[in-house]
Amino acid sequence: MTIMQIIFLITASVTLFAALMVVSTRKMMHAAMWLILVLFGVTITFALLETRFFAIVQLVIYIGAIAILIIFAVMLTRRSMNADVPQVNRNWWLVMVSSLALFVGLVTVMSVWEGFFVTARTAPPGGENLVQLGTALVDPNGFVLPFEVASLVLLAAMVGAIYVAAERKEK
Amino acid sequence: MNLSDYYAITPLVFLVCWAIFLLLVDLWIPAGRKGITALLSAAGLLIALVLVLRSGEQVLTAFEGSVVVDGFSVFLSVLFLVSALAGIALAHDYLQRLGLERGEYYPLLLISTSGMMLMTYAYDLIEVFLALELLSIPLYILAGFSRLNLESEEASLKYFLLGAFSSGFVLYGVGLVFAATGYTDFPGIAKAAQNGSLNPTLFLIGAGLVLTGFGFKSALVPFHMWSPDVYQGAPSPVTAFMSVGAKAAGFAALLRVFVVVFPGMSVNLTPLLWALAALTMFVGNIVALVQSNIKRLLAYSSIAHSGYLLMAFVPYGNASVRSDAIAGMLFYLAAYCLTTFGAWAVVIALEKAEGKGLELEDYAGLGHRYPFLAATMTIFLLSFTGVPLTLGFWGKFYLFSTAVEGGFWQLALIGLLTSLISAYYYLRVVVIMYMRPGTPQVQRNFWPLLTSGVGALAVVILGIAPGVLLNLAVSALLKGL
Amino acid sequence: MIFLEKNIADPLLNLAPLVILFPLLGLAINLLLGRRLGEKGAGVVASLASGSSFVISLLLTLSLQAHPQAFTLPLFQWISIGSLSVSWDMRVDTLSTTMMLVVSGVGTLIHVYAIGYMYNDVHHQGDVGRYRRFFVFFNLFIAAMMLLVSANNYLVLFVGWEGVGLCSYLLIGFWFEKGKDGIGNARAAQKAFVVNRIGDFGLLIALFMMFWWFGSLEFERVFNAARSLAPAQQGVLLAMTLFMLMGVAGKSAQLPLYVWLPDAMAGPTPVSALIHAATMVTAGVYLIARSQPLFALAPAAQGVICWVGALTALLAATIAVGQMDIKKVLAYSTISQLGFMVAAVGMGAITAGMFHLITHAFFKALLFLAAGSVIMGMEGANTVAHHHAGNPEEEIDPQDMRNMGGLQKRMPLTYGVYLVGALALAGIAPLAGFFSKDEILVSLWDYSLPIFLLLLLTSFLTAFYMGRQVLMVFAGKARSQAAQQASESPKVITIPLLILAVLSLLGGLINLPGVATLEKWLEHTVAMPEAGHFSPAIALSSTLLALLGLALAWVLYGYRSLAKLQQSDPLANYLGVIFHAVQNQWWIDSLYQRVFVIPYRYISHEVLAQWFDQETIDTMAHDLGRWNQWFARVLSYLQNGFVRTYGLVVLLGVVVMLAFLATR
Repeated sequence: MTIMQIIFLITASVTLFAALMVVSTRKMMHAAMWLILVLFGVTITFALLETRFFAIVQLVIYIGAIAILIIFAVMLTRRSMNADVPQVNRNWWLVMVSSLALFVGLVTVMSVWEGFFVTARTAPPGGENLVQLGTALVDPNGFVLPFEVASLVLLAAMVGAIYVAAERKEK
Repeated sequence: MNLSDYYAITPLVFLVCWAIFLLLVDLWIPAGRKGITALLSAAGLLIALVLVLRSGEQVLTAFEGSVVVDGFSVFLSVLFLVSALAGIALAHDYLQRLGLERGEYYPLLLISTSGMMLMTYAYDLIEVFLALELLSIPLYILAGFSRLNLESEEASLKYFLLGAFSSGFVLYGVGLVFAATGYTDFPGIAKAAQNGSLNPTLFLIGAGLVLTGFGFKSALVPFHMWSPDVYQGAPSPVTAFMSVGAKAAGFAALLRVFVVVFPGMSVNLTPLLWALAALTMFVGNIVALVQSNIKRLLAYSSIAHSGYLLMAFVPYGNASVRSDAIAGMLFYLAAYCLTTFGAWAVVIALEKAEGKGLELEDYAGLGHRYPFLAATMTIFLLSFTGVPLTLGFWGKFYLFSTAVEGGFWQLALIGLLTSLISAYYYLRVVVIMYMRPGTPQVQRNFWPLLTSGVGALAVVILGIAPGVLLNLAVSALLKGL
Repeated sequence: MIFLEKNIADPLLNLAPLVILFPLLGLAINLLLGRRLGEKGAGVVASLASGSSFVISLLLTLSLQAHPQAFTLPLFQWISIGSLSVSWDMRVDTLSTTMMLVVSGVGTLIHVYAIGYMYNDVHHQGDVGRYRRFFVFFNLFIAAMMLLVSANNYLVLFVGWEGVGLCSYLLIGFWFEKGKDGIGNARAAQKAFVVNRIGDFGLLIALFMMFWWFGSLEFERVFNAARSLAPAQQGVLLAMTLFMLMGVAGKSAQLPLYVWLPDAMAGPTPVSALIHAATMVTAGVYLIARSQPLFALAPAAQGVICWVGALTALLAATIAVGQMDIKKVLAYSTISQLGFMVAAVGMGAITAGMFHLITHAFFKALLFLAAGSVIMGMEGANTVAHHHAGNPEEEIDPQDMRNMGGLQKRMPLTYGVYLVGALALAGIAPLAGFFSKDEILVSLWDYSLPIFLLLLLTSFLTAFYMGRQVLMVFAGKARSQAAQQASESPKVITIPLLILAVLSLLGGLINLPGVATLEKWLEHTVAMPEAGHFSPAIALSSTLLALLGLALAWVLYGYRSLAKLQQSDPLANYLGVIFHAVQNQWWIDSLYQRVFVIPYRYISHEVLAQWFDQETIDTMAHDLGRWNQWFARVLSYLQNGFVRTYGLVVLLGVVVMLAFLATR
């Protein structure tokens, strides 16, 4: 077992645990915090896979923007969210069963695929440096369109958050 | 740097820039005069419309083939831009009346429209996903645009949560398709599928998950549950825009992705589509029977129409029927767009603050008090029902005949029977308007009235000469899909 | 879109859509602004619209003179369903422009006439508001008729066909609350509509057959396909043409469907003149002329048509002899003359038929309008008499010829033009009717002797009943106070009459024997067998017979004119039972009533409505409805408003879908 594998295992279990906490904690604010931890775990996973681009994007967009938005939203709607209602409803078993079925099914399907057992290719030596990344982000033959669209998505989300917040202030 | 890539998507670039420009300009427009923003955004949409129509005959490919501008994109782009125009025409007075006048409405609408347009250009699954998000996120906000109205806020949140849920499925599906083939762009995937150099099960599961996401946007049963609540809670102009734009965008994605990427999978996907179509037609029409709120009624009716649309798509694997099916669907979408905006314009004319004026009983006496509104509403309802010589009839006719042509006469039969059921709830509104005494109160604002008038005229004229519209749809496809 | 077509002989032909658009424009103006235009304004707008249409038709005709080949102007793709594709094209050729000229020309004159006539009518009937409505319908009729004659395929033609039917229905029932028992006019309109539907049904079947066998509804394609199919499928062509004949019989009032036309006289007189004499009823003749290549391939059907036309002509002429209502006489005469035309085009003598169609449009419109002038005079005097005398006699029927007499002096101008029309109709040389009727007779002489003799007899009867009518109305002494005080009509009425009179006098010029202008004109469009040559013997015999008829009429009605109001018809003394039969239209109407209408009503009411619909179907529908409602409740129970439920449903859906896909 290499160091990398150990780090991966730790990250994975922390991420999973945090994800579990997101859905089980009773306080919305705490759930949001746990979510940030989950996203952070995913960032580390990307880094471990040596896909620095995705790691950065994950860090900037999900933690930097989306998580902040969610915290905003949670803070602003705190009053209408009460923690008195039960955590689960009477359909919980059905959800459990179907989620499990989905999970098991997907894992089974993937496990019959030969690609599942192939070790990841290591990135080409010196392949992904920051200059290349920067160019790729603004190159029409690279990722400029997805990148721009993603930023537009963020813009829309931000406008929305501000809209919601502004209304509250007036009230 | 090569500008020709941007040249291909000029309308889109323009629309986005205009939206951002509006966001800034709006800061200097005093509250109470947001009509200026509305006019500016309408102007932007018109310019974009011109840019779209100008785009010539040839098929443009850009951004390494991840974007394709062809007849299909142009037809649907026009549809979306017209929808956005109608969404603005319906909104301005409405927002003022209900004390919701805020400039953000218009840029958000424009951004959502640009997402829909991107959906028609997208030739890469990543693009498709981003377009889906780009069109959805502004809609989530717009659905909750009615401030201080809990219903609207609830609608927004429901839409957002379930939308995010379904986006997750799409993304997972895209991931699986990528895993199975090693590509995200359509030609690459299609080539891999042809070569057989992929994992069929994984590929199929991926397709299924992608279908889920599109089904959610187009409100196919069982992914439809959000739509009645959201349609009812959201401000009516938003609902109108959503019920046309989001649905059409969902179908645009479905058409493009399934025809280009998954034609080989049709043997396996067809039974699934069959079941979805049948369920959607059935549930939409049956549940609409017991609705007493006009917005919910239209929501279920919109679900049912998704069912009809999907029905024509079931034989998509059959190459001899495919182009007929797509032409029929484009025709139907255009017909649905005209009819829906017209009907919502009437709903908006009767709607009052705090969700009043939306019960079917509120329409009693409309026929005597406001013959124009009642007449247009009757035209729209008849068209929804598919009464011969309305636009809706031809739409249904083309859809049903493709289903039969493709060998799915049972499905066409289900469609026929359920549209018979639909006649009951549509005509009930007509009966209430004309036969029951009542004193309905109507806001006679210019733009909604214009929208319903233009819609009615178009429904009637194109109902008499459907060939014009069908020709447009067919010639849009001649340029390739 | 319209003006983009490039490869046309003459750019003027691009104006063709205007012949339809102008009346529509007039209609729209009257509909939207009519109230502001005032009464006269509405009439003037409508007349201008129709007149503009005429001008355009004239321009089209002129440009066709240089390039006489048929020209089609594609407007737009109309319907495309599977292999059926119908585009909305306009066809401009010598046949269609001829019809356009007649429709818009005669139509415009009648529009002008109606400005005066309807002004009186609406005041007399007591609803001034309907003045505008009348002109809206009138313009709509012109538009629909133009559509009919300018169609390039059978479906567009059918749209026009139904359109003129609709206008006819609306205008027959124009005073729908008047007439016998307050529903007489409405009944007449309904009768016209229903009888026409029977004919239309036949035409529709013919259209279906065309589509089935030929795969197209476009004229040229149908004809070409028919030519290649004819040797193999004689039966199909025969059936198709006979079904088409059914449509013709309905629209052009031929046996056995002619019964609606006499009742249609319930409409205002300009309607009778325009729709039920000059134009709409000739649509059937036009249809046969247009479909001549089809009929030429089915000689058996041609024979049938010819016989139908001839028998109708004779039957209607006999009935006309016994009518007392001034308009009814003209109505039966119209049926009879339509029989002439149908017989002519039926055997393939298209020129003769179309020639008679044109001249008939002139003199029959003239006769109807002049009759309207008479009625107006009578009505006016009637009202005045009423007004002055307080109560005296009961209000008399201003259309009953027994109440007239002596109008020659009171209305000299009307008398003059009426005489011209009557002589033209009777076929006295050199008036228009003489030439056209003669040409039909000549063609028939070569075709079939019995039919020739039938029509010769009809010519005699025609002269007789027209003589009878003129003498009863204008000669002798006034038989009622109204007739005594009747006065001449105003200029707006008499000027169209004078123009039509001139046309009736000179109408023969368009196809004089030997010159044959019309024939050469139409030959560009319709292939025709060699027309019969002018024969002095036939011309002489038919003229002699006509003179004989007039003389007989004079002996019976002029020599000793009717004296008293209720004196029985002199003819009744000589003919007895036969006259009674004629007067009652040979009891054909009541036969139809007994055989078709009453049993039909019984079945529809007792069997279908009571038992089948109310008891069987309704119960089923109710049960189905209850079942649906229950289902809907169950499903909306799931719609409980909780996101978690919705999410669960989505999840379950995904699981089921994926399970299905994974097991494939």
